[in-house]
Amino acid sequence: MKKIMIDPVTRLEGHGKIAIFLNDDGGVANVYFQVPELRGFEKFSEGRPAEDMPQITQRICGVCPEAHHMASTKALDDLFHVEPTSAAKKLRELLYSAFYVTDHTTHFYILAAPDFVMGPDAPPAERNILGVIAKVGLELGGAVIRTRHENHWVIQTIGGRPIHPCFGLPGGVSKAINEEERAKIEEIAKSSVEFGKLSLKVFDDVVLKNKEYLDMVLSDTFTHRTYYMGLVDKNNKVNFYDGKVRVVDPEGKEFCKYAPRDYLEHLAEHVEPWTYLKFPYLKNVGWKGFVDGKDSGVYRATPLSRLNAADGMTTPLAQEEYERMYSTLGGKPAHYTLATHWARLIELLYAAERMVELVRDPEITSPDIRTIPTAKPDEGVGIVEAPRGTLTHHYITDERGVIKKCNLIVGTTNNYAAFYMSVKKAAEDLIKPGKEITEGLLNRIEMAWRPYDLCLACATHSLPGQLPLEVTIYDAQGNELKKLSQGIS
Amino acid sequence: MKTLVLGLGNPILSDDGAGIRVAQEVGKQLNDPQITVAETSEAGLSLLDSIAGYDEVIIIDAVQTEKGQAGQIYRMGPEDFSLTKHFTSPHQINLATALELGKMLDLAMPRKITIFAVEAKDITTFSEKCTPEVEQVIPEVVKMVLQELNAKHPPEG
Repeated sequence: MKKIMIDPVTRLEGHGKIAIFLNDDGGVANVYFQVPELRGFEKFSEGRPAEDMPQITQRICGVCPEAHHMASTKALDDLFHVEPTSAAKKLRELLYSAFYVTDHTTHFYILAAPDFVMGPDAPPAERNILGVIAKVGLELGGAVIRTRHENHWVIQTIGGRPIHPCFGLPGGVSKAINEEERAKIEEIAKSSVEFGKLSLKVFDDVVLKNKEYLDMVLSDTFTHRTYYMGLVDKNNKVNFYDGKVRVVDPEGKEFCKYAPRDYLEHLAEHVEPWTYLKFPYLKNVGWKGFVDGKDSGVYRATPLSRLNAADGMTTPLAQEEYERMYSTLGGKPAHYTLATHWARLIELLYAAERMVELVRDPEITSPDIRTIPTAKPDEGVGIVEAPRGTLTHHYITDERGVIKKCNLIVGTTNNYAAFYMSVKKAAEDLIKPGKEITEGLLNRIEMAWRPYDLCLACATHSLPGQLPLEVTIYDAQGNELKKLSQGIS
Repeated sequence: MKTLVLGLGNPILSDDGAGIRVAQEVGKQLNDPQITVAETSEAGLSLLDSIAGYDEVIIIDAVQTEKGQAGQIYRMGPEDFSLTKHFTSPHQINLATALELGKMLDLAMPRKITIFAVEAKDITTFSEKCTPEVEQVIPEVVKMVLQELNAKHPPEG
């Protein structure tokens, strides 16, 4: 058997396999996508005290522990029927905004920027962060590292511990911040706003001012007309920490808006025989296969989806950028998958601006950080926007608060169907009979899914003896066609 | 000389937690202000944050190789980085790139990095315990790390 492996997909979490089968003419016949399944989380959590869940669930993922910690903490509020104090909510959102700044910074500069700054045809050895910094400048590299470092300090200061916060409790948080810490966070927030602005300028200079890239962003190959999901506040503005989940249809009209408790009324999962993955879809539209459009229940939950699903941003600079993006892209919703990178930077700016707002709130240093729960626990659902999609935690306990059942819809999974469709469409459009399959071409297929930043197997970063994600292209007889690699043995 | 012992992995994903287990054990047996023992399940750029400012770093992680036997122990140096460039999260960047980036940006990068890795059997089942094959070699890896440290920080007297 002959097969082609695309190695550059190593810039993706977890180990997965994509198989592209060609027909007799050399066009694409079919695409399959498999990932190994992490097993037994439900069983693992059964019998544990619910209060441990914010500590345990954040260990599921090495990329976004803060998101699991926060969704879990909110599920505990609901489980114990307790309303956190106002100061506690603000501290949680402040930490969460700092987390967004770090995560979006990482994605853009490590994963997205190399494709555009170095170009899709650049050799893989140069198409990485080192290449980006060499080209854009050491000063920017320093700013990337500094912004991440400083915001990690914010997470550690509010969350009580680096990387894995331990401050989320039902009804509030475990510690307040003092004036000295507040003042330092304010400085970091302000410099993060400047960094957000700088990043959008980089995107302008590199992508928007380059006609070839802009055409690529707007091309049909990287476009899908789907439903969009995102958390919104009471005015339908983007919020990462709290609110209701709003879904708009491919025309931008509100399809539904639900409170966390009602998520099962709106979502269902589709199963395919060729993969362990379950594909969530909108139950009230129905599963019509891997197709887009208004009749298909496929939805997306990405940075661009959140902007599509909302009526705007609550902070001034992000709102300006929001308007500019939609006017450039020809209106809302925007269906261009590659514009997700742009939306991510607008979210980065929003998160930084939101930090400034929260840290200047007189209540942020209040010691009133906890409402002690008094009601019996039974069932609770907590939802936040993880950077990679809407994250839902659902726990059922006995009257002592011991977990009987646990269900999680991890951010990434929302996008499985759309991810698969994006791979398939790019492969179909780019692999043509008689056309040589070059590395640049394969990288363009990768670019179709990179915006999703899929986490396939959270936090398993053992040294892999296999490629994290293999893309294999087979001809009509099942023979491997070509092998490309980035110097991996 | 400041030394960091860093356990990498996920402590609730069976053998993926081997590195963290070793680091915890090493931590219990050390009392030297020059040596910091830490654990992380983050990778890539975050690893850069973790190791910056140390003179020497010892990393302990789990590994899966094509023909390896569960419980097999490997000791690697920077010369092996080309073979192991993915051992940190492929989400971000590998250790070799992180180090290069650190040097490029003039951060204080360790002069020496040593990696101890244990061949894992199961890294996809949620459990706080390692598989028996890995569990039984943990004391040996702990010993190897301590020996490595003793060579540089000879106990006084």
